Amino acid sequence: MQVTLKDFTKTFDDMTVIDKMNLTVEDGEMLALLGPSGCGKSTTLFAICGIHRINGGQILFGTRDVSNVPSQKRNVGVVFQNYALYPHLTVSENIAFPLSVRGDDKAKIEREVRAIAELTHIEELLARRPAQLSGGQQQRVALARALVRKPDVLLLDEPLANLDAKLRLEMRSEIRRIQLETGITAILVTHDQVEAMSMCDRIAIMNKGEILQIATPTDMYRAPVNKFVAGFLGNPPIVMLEGKASGDGRFIVNGGAGLPLPSRLANIPGDTPLSLGVRPEHFGAAGASQVSGTITFVEPQGRETLFDVTLADGVVLRSIQPAREDVALGHKVAWPLDAEKLLAFDATGQAV
Amino acid sequence: MTRNFSAWPIYALLGILSAPLAVMYLFLVIDTFTNAPPGSLIPNEFTFHHWRFLWDASVTGDVWGPTATTFLFATTMVVIVLAVSSTAGYAISRLNLPFRRFFLSGIMVMHAFPSVTLIIGVFLVLQFAGLYNTLIGVILVKASLMLPFGVWIMKGFYDQVPWEIEMAGVQDGASRFTVWRRLILPQVTPGLLSLGIFAFIDGWSEFMLPRILAPSANFQVLSTYLNVVSDPNSTTYNFNLFKSVGLFYTLPILVLFAVFQNRLMNIFGGGTKG
Amino acid sequence: MRTRTSLLGLGFVSPALALLFAFFLMPVVLTTVFAFTNMSTATGITGGSHVITGNLLRDLGNAGIDNDVITALGEASFSVTSETLAAAADAGVEPRFLGEIEARLMGQNFEDARSFESALKSLPSRPTRIRELKLATEPFERSILNTRYASRADMEAAITSMAPDAPAETISTIAEASYTGWRWIDGGNFQTLLDRPETIRIVLNTVFYVAATLAFNVFVGLFLAITTFYLPKTGAGFFSVLWLLPRITPVVLYAVMWKWFTWDNGFLYVIAEQLGLPAFNYMKGSVPTAWATIILVNGFVGASFGMILFSGALRAIPIQQLWASEVDGASRWQQIRQIILPQLRWPILFVTSYQTLSLLSSYEQIWLTTNGGPGSTTTVWALEAFNTALNNYTGNLEYGMGAAMALILVAVGLVLSILYLRMFRFDELVNKPRIEF
Repeated sequence: MQVTLKDFTKTFDDMTVIDKMNLTVEDGEMLALLGPSGCGKSTTLFAICGIHRINGGQILFGTRDVSNVPSQKRNVGVVFQNYALYPHLTVSENIAFPLSVRGDDKAKIEREVRAIAELTHIEELLARRPAQLSGGQQQRVALARALVRKPDVLLLDEPLANLDAKLRLEMRSEIRRIQLETGITAILVTHDQVEAMSMCDRIAIMNKGEILQIATPTDMYRAPVNKFVAGFLGNPPIVMLEGKASGDGRFIVNGGAGLPLPSRLANIPGDTPLSLGVRPEHFGAAGASQVSGTITFVEPQGRETLFDVTLADGVVLRSIQPAREDVALGHKVAWPLDAEKLLAFDATGQAV
Repeated sequence: MTRNFSAWPIYALLGILSAPLAVMYLFLVIDTFTNAPPGSLIPNEFTFHHWRFLWDASVTGDVWGPTATTFLFATTMVVIVLAVSSTAGYAISRLNLPFRRFFLSGIMVMHAFPSVTLIIGVFLVLQFAGLYNTLIGVILVKASLMLPFGVWIMKGFYDQVPWEIEMAGVQDGASRFTVWRRLILPQVTPGLLSLGIFAFIDGWSEFMLPRILAPSANFQVLSTYLNVVSDPNSTTYNFNLFKSVGLFYTLPILVLFAVFQNRLMNIFGGGTKG
Repeated sequence: MRTRTSLLGLGFVSPALALLFAFFLMPVVLTTVFAFTNMSTATGITGGSHVITGNLLRDLGNAGIDNDVITALGEASFSVTSETLAAAADAGVEPRFLGEIEARLMGQNFEDARSFESALKSLPSRPTRIRELKLATEPFERSILNTRYASRADMEAAITSMAPDAPAETISTIAEASYTGWRWIDGGNFQTLLDRPETIRIVLNTVFYVAATLAFNVFVGLFLAITTFYLPKTGAGFFSVLWLLPRITPVVLYAVMWKWFTWDNGFLYVIAEQLGLPAFNYMKGSVPTAWATIILVNGFVGASFGMILFSGALRAIPIQQLWASEVDGASRWQQIRQIILPQLRWPILFVTSYQTLSLLSSYEQIWLTTNGGPGSTTTVWALEAFNTALNNYTGNLEYGMGAAMALILVAVGLVLSILYLRMFRFDELVNKPRIEF
């Protein structure tokens, strides 16, 4: 089922948090609403599932306008951050609840609960109570309960935030597998770029109540529309250098030396204020230009090592490379910079 | 707990301060089973004599009738308080109501407000409503005077149920009533139990309302019964007997208190009646 | 956007609203209204009727009402109407005789008993015995004296029929004076309170009672909370249960226990006797001991309130703070004064303000123990209001006056409780519903 937001507007006590937002989620697609806390992504989710009333615009499921339809009649499945399992009911009663509310007969409920439990791999947990489950198991139960009545849309509100690192990895692929198997349209709300990139077909990145860019994860990583998106995606984060174009295809860092610009920007006029974004993986691996400096920080991460390199003029670049021990703190190094992959932004922060 | 200080000076101080209470409660129990010679406090005789009022109605009049009435009084009131508080508490905790803030402030003012000052007004209301001197009138008044407390306590319990449970229920297609009935109410049963026990003890102990609002009614509760029985101005007053009747009257409360002490502490602390 | 009112919510609050309206709001309204009346047992509660009594006539005469009118009102008359005939039939007058009366005398009026009797004697089937004849006349007697008229208009009509010549103003004055129900007396009750010499005494008693009991409650509550905080679990548990007992003990039994403790031949009495100290009924025998008794009776109940709240606040203090202070070499007293007490500031303020209000209005324990005695030395405002309105041994309960006294407490209570609400920011506990549908 396609989900469309048209000029969606939401205010709280006269404060407009989302103003005329437009978004289309294609049928069967999994889309991430990614953004820092307070950016309006959860508000959007709550509006879609019918917990919040919208103040303007429309929400369409397919062609049906659900803007004024209460949650009970929207047929949306939601997985909450804290799972919101009913503590006094067993797992199977939890999953059966949406069906029993609907008035399905016992045999059908039994059958459906079995089927969904099989899909989510929780058959052996059905008799337990939520308090007896691990975080990952609770997550699966919440997913099963959200899916059991075959909703048109599945909404996931920070579903992995309460899990420890190892489980998070496991559930990431589990949720994606289940979404693909059921073919349901899903919206994932998260502040974690890794989750968004690894689980979703497309990402809508939000800040301050606005969608900045909607794109596939790779496109967004490679070609962010502005500085915010560039900074939000990528770990370790991109290094932003403020400066201006030299006029001959180079970039002058404020109060310092120059760095090469990508060739597509060769014709940019001199003195144009620019921000140059250097991702750590684009410095120290390959590239035409050489940049030399002193290693001022080393952070071994096991498989990789992260270096800070301070250039002669005080500019600090970051580099991530496969683990190496041949260089150490204080060493002088000259590493290649992949100028073609550098990102440049104008004074307003938009990509150029 | 910090252990760097010795405990005995504290015990001594506490002991002195608590002595009157200890003496009164100790002798409350001892005196019902013993006799002491005149002018002495130390019992010299063990006896069940003081308890004969239980089977011999000629001692103080029938005690079982008032006991039954007291039970009826307390349980009816508990049912009303629980039913009304659990619904109103939910509404002001969770539902969209006009003047919700105002209503809640009103509840809090009424809660802090000393309701005994209203007794004259309540008396007049009952007179006008024709409920003066009736059991149902006293029950309604007692339950109503407890309501601000009950609603306040229940609101507190509802506030602690995560909103997500409620949201999940709504998403699962349940109406708000079903959500309340099947999902939320089970989460606040500890609250209902505490409030119920508290209200029962309060109703069981109530003296003023039956005494004032139903003085010449054809029923008696144990409090008014004990009050009539234990008149020390009577020529043959007998504290051993008074205490036996009193202990009999208080026994259910003591049992409830012993069993549910921790729950009651929450209510005593959270609900600010004192 | 406006969130829609939840019908379920309205349904859920309406029982509470109905009960609170009936037993909170209405009592406040009625207390306020009747504080300005002279309502008492004599006037009744639901309103009175109009009656002219002999006493009233005398008073009216003294007040300058025309003597002719008063004489006219004092007289009886006899009239034959369908009503009086029915009354006579009920009284058992012989039917044939009654038939003749109806046939011959219907609609006639007789100024006095003699003329009516002579008219009756002229009837064929009159009773032979004089006594019977006199009995038969009685139902026909119409006197305004001691007859109840439901409304003022009825009374005025009756007066007009008895004294047709009376001026309208006089009729109105008499009708007004004949009302037996309660009347508006404006601030009369409050004026009386101001004029009474006891008022100041009761106010002072109340202030003393509240201040002394409050001090006991707060200090003992603090003491109990802090000491039990330092004790091992079993010891602390024993004392907190002991101090909680008065709170759950029914007040009647609690009063009996105190009576035993302080009464003639009671516990203190026997001890004092054995020690050669003055032994008497401490509860009622002297003013200082009576005061001590009621302060302790209330204090032993109230202290546990402070104990519970303070203990809760104490447990909320991070234990590391105490360990740290001990490592820093603080003595126990320094620890209490410099670490614990400052953190109990708000609970102490709360207990103080909350109990001020409840002590101001409480009288149950006093009623059941000293009952304000000896004399009225321990009578507080709330007890006096209650006694005036509802518990007066002379039998005439002055509801209006009692309501006036209660109204003062109600006003103080409302102001203080709203003040506390603001002070402790209880209104911030209100959260907006998060489901907007």
